Amino acid sequence: MSLVYMNIMTAFMVALAGLLMYRSHLMSSLLCLEGIMLSLFVMASLTILNSHFTLASMMPIILLVFAACEAALGLSLLVKVSNTYGTDYVQNLNLLQC
Amino acid sequence: MMTYIVFILSIIFVLGFVGFSSKPSPIYGGLGLIVSGGVGCGIVLNFGGSFLGLMVFLIYLGGMMVVFGYTTAMATEQYPEIWVSNKTVLGAFVTGLLMEIVMVYYVLKDEEVEIVFQFNGLGDWVIYDTGDSGFFSEEAMGIAALYSYGTWLVIVTGWSLLIGVVVIMEITRGN
Repeated sequence: MSLVYMNIMTAFMVALAGLLMYRSHLMSSLLCLEGIMLSLFVMASLTILNSHFTLASMMPIILLVFAACEAALGLSLLVKVSNTYGTDYVQNLNLLQC
Repeated sequence: MMTYIVFILSIIFVLGFVGFSSKPSPIYGGLGLIVSGGVGCGIVLNFGGSFLGLMVFLIYLGGMMVVFGYTTAMATEQYPEIWVSNKTVLGAFVTGLLMEIVMVYYVLKDEEVEIVFQFNGLGDWVIYDTGDSGFFSEEAMGIAALYSYGTWLVIVTGWSLLIGVVVIMEITRGN
């Protein structure tokens, strides 16, 4: 496998680690989710272009469509949290805390 | 250097990812994602995927990042943290940078790296050619096949986007 894939997979791992370890902002985790989608898009595009798998060229576009859907849903939830609490800090999401 | 341009672009890609995964304030994270998106477009363009690269720029950066930008402007704090203003963020960024430098050093030393797969540098600038493709771009024809072979896919994605819009409007309506 060529070296570009090593770096793209590393970028995926870095964004996944960033998504799982949150600090203060909910928005940062949503950005890491977008980063995961971007690295998946680039990896899928490179594999499809390299192997001349013509019919699968529509798969990255469909991936991008569903990633946009998911990002918009995440942002709407963030807007509701921000409307209630003023900021999007994750420490505000503590209604289920005992 | 030009034969390794894709590898250099992918290193900048990883550094942009480390930049927003170390979680400064979201506005600076968005900046890192924009840099990574631009460089990722360059990587896809270098492999001959002109339509897919422009999709990244138009739809991803021009659509989704703009929405992230103004949502961040709505929910941001008074003194945003840049990478150098907080020791946690700076430490995470330097850790990611060192990890990438160590990996690149092993690659340049040995010509191949085995982590889970075996990566070698031999296939970087050679695209496998399986015959002639005539005078058209295969990737553009594959995407155009979305409307002939992938009609059901278009219907499902269009419908799910419409339902997504309805769900978002119901969420933001509240009460």
